[in-house]
Amino acid sequence: MNLEKVVFGFFILLAATLNFGFVIGDIADPMLHNEYELFAALVVSLVATVLKFGDRTQIGAVHLATSLVADLQLIAAAVVWAYAANAAASGMTPHHMASIVSLAAGALFANVVSVVLLVAETLSFHRR
Amino acid sequence: MSSLLAGFWQRLQRGNGRDAARRRERHVRLVPAARESGLFLVLRRMRAPLVALIVIYAVSVLGLTLIPGVDGQGRPWRMGFFHAFYFMSYTATTIGFGEIPHAFTNAQRLWVTFSIYLTVVGWAWSVGTLFALLQDRGFRRALVTIRFSRRVRKLREPFVLVVGYGQSGRRLVYWLDMIGRRASVMDVAQDRIDDVELAPLAMVAPAYAADARVPDHLLRAGLAHPLCTAVLALTDDDEANLAVAMTAALLRPDVRVFAQTLSASARDRLRLFGNPTAIDPFDRFGDYLRAGIRAPASFRLIEWMTGPPGTPLPRLREVPRGRWIVCGYGRFGRHVVADLRAEGMEVTVIEPGAAAADDPEIIVGYGTESAVLARAQPETAVGFIAATDNDTSNLSMIAAARAANRDLYLIARQNQRANQRLFRSIGVDFALVPAEVVAREIFADLTDPALYRFLTLVPTQDDAWAEDLLGRLQRACGERLPHLWGVRLDRATAPALAMWFAEGRTLSVGALLGGRARHHARLHVVVLMRVRGGEAMLLPGDFVDLLPGDELLLAGQSDGRRAITAILAAEAPRDLALLGVDRPAGWVWRRLARPTE
Repeated sequence: MNLEKVVFGFFILLAATLNFGFVIGDIADPMLHNEYELFAALVVSLVATVLKFGDRTQIGAVHLATSLVADLQLIAAAVVWAYAANAAASGMTPHHMASIVSLAAGALFANVVSVVLLVAETLSFHRR
Repeated sequence: MSSLLAGFWQRLQRGNGRDAARRRERHVRLVPAARESGLFLVLRRMRAPLVALIVIYAVSVLGLTLIPGVDGQGRPWRMGFFHAFYFMSYTATTIGFGEIPHAFTNAQRLWVTFSIYLTVVGWAWSVGTLFALLQDRGFRRALVTIRFSRRVRKLREPFVLVVGYGQSGRRLVYWLDMIGRRASVMDVAQDRIDDVELAPLAMVAPAYAADARVPDHLLRAGLAHPLCTAVLALTDDDEANLAVAMTAALLRPDVRVFAQTLSASARDRLRLFGNPTAIDPFDRFGDYLRAGIRAPASFRLIEWMTGPPGTPLPRLREVPRGRWIVCGYGRFGRHVVADLRAEGMEVTVIEPGAAAADDPEIIVGYGTESAVLARAQPETAVGFIAATDNDTSNLSMIAAARAANRDLYLIARQNQRANQRLFRSIGVDFALVPAEVVAREIFADLTDPALYRFLTLVPTQDDAWAEDLLGRLQRACGERLPHLWGVRLDRATAPALAMWFAEGRTLSVGALLGGRARHHARLHVVVLMRVRGGEAMLLPGDFVDLLPGDELLLAGQSDGRRAITAILAAEAPRDLALLGVDRPAGWVWRRLARPTE
């Protein structure tokens, strides 16, 4: 067993599960989406990105690309949240919440691709 | 005939599918393995500190949002992620705007104290790792490699791969640069590579310190680059030159290879791989010397044509016939003695070392000692050659010989470029710089195939012909060495002339050089050769006609070259030169001029 592979798989999967947990629920209802969960998803996604640095293989490059997409989407979601909660005159509205969750849902898609890559890589490794 | 056969053979090969597949495979193998970028190297090494930094920020921010605080009125208040991140950002970077939006409670201050130290550690580790990485020799080396590979990949003009930046490599790169040809340079010594950056070159020459015997290094230096036209193996080591020539012949059979060789065995081994041009400076010098004895004017002509253009004409005394004294019977000495004897000269050899043992006629001793020199009787000799590999002894021998006989023809082997001034001021008739011989030979061959062909034809002509040509060149070009260049009268290089021919007009050599049209003084240019359909015609006269597709070899100064280029390229200068009509050059004026014609 390779500890590096465990840590790598752990962070990729955790990024996807946290993201999923945040996104699930009615898209416009602020009660169903926890800001701590978004924060955790963002942090774990950033860590996963850094772990993917420096892999020169083709699959490594795609891995990094999916992570960067997820980061971008989650940061955008966090920025919208910060704007809605602190700067917008109307405060948090269902409309704002829907934007945040849809951005996070986009990140979820990238994370799913990441997980698929991880699984594909693992399977091809076993077959060899 | 042979080229016809070669073409047929190539076509046969091209039709062969299996061979094509193999060639494709070879091409794949030639693609450099990893195209790394410096950024990726940094990121890979920075993984651990960056993860630590993210975790530290996350923990600090999360803590701030969880710890209860109070607002300005003392009501319970909790910091949101936005404020927590804002606060941590300016605190961790030691900007410190204070406690906002509300003054902190003691519990919050406790947590902030903890976070401050935590983030300082995180930043210190990250920045420390980054600086250590930038200082790291291996990392710097990797960056240099990456930069070199990128520069070579980005070359968009034909270039020459020069291996060995010694005396001859240095000269060649400089001369090639003067005529606008690019080079990529490789040498084992880092300090020589540093010299490339300092060299007064007009165009950047990518340079890299590495052992050229490793094929990967040669590939990185552009061996597989489609625009690599020639490989020059000019290191001081025969073995390394051989390795370079071999690699080039196996991986890129289509590029030309020139290799400096110092031994006959290396030359023989070199021939096993493709068709590289082997250049032995000592052997070549012997040939020069023989040519100088046999046909002084042809010798001088070749001397003029292979020198760097624009430099003053070399002044050479005629090489005299009679008895010669050669001091030093090493590699160079042996060649020269053999060549002089082959020309029927009597030769007296002075040699101190073991090489003297195999020939009883050799005077054993140091040529620098006057007693030894006196035994060779310099008063009755016509020439003296200082041929040792030590410049100081060569200089003192020259001085001693000159003192014994003022009229001696003095030839010295100059080993170090740095001693050039000394040899010039002592006034030798000919200083052989081995590096220079190699560089000139390659330069003449590389710069112009037409010129090279001309040079091979010079020895077939008699000396009076060469004498006549020397006079014409001097009248046209003055006291400086001429530029020599080839032009092809086709649509690509001479569009204006192509149109001229397309209009059904004719052109002769005399008309091109001018002197008859009213506005056009005769150009100071000599047409050395016209090649039509593989047939070369030397020194075509004024009435020789020119046709589309002809190749010309021209000699002249740079103004003549510019004038010819203009005539070939654009209609306005062409018509001014050939018809004496000053036509408008711009499109608008041409349009306006047309109706009035």
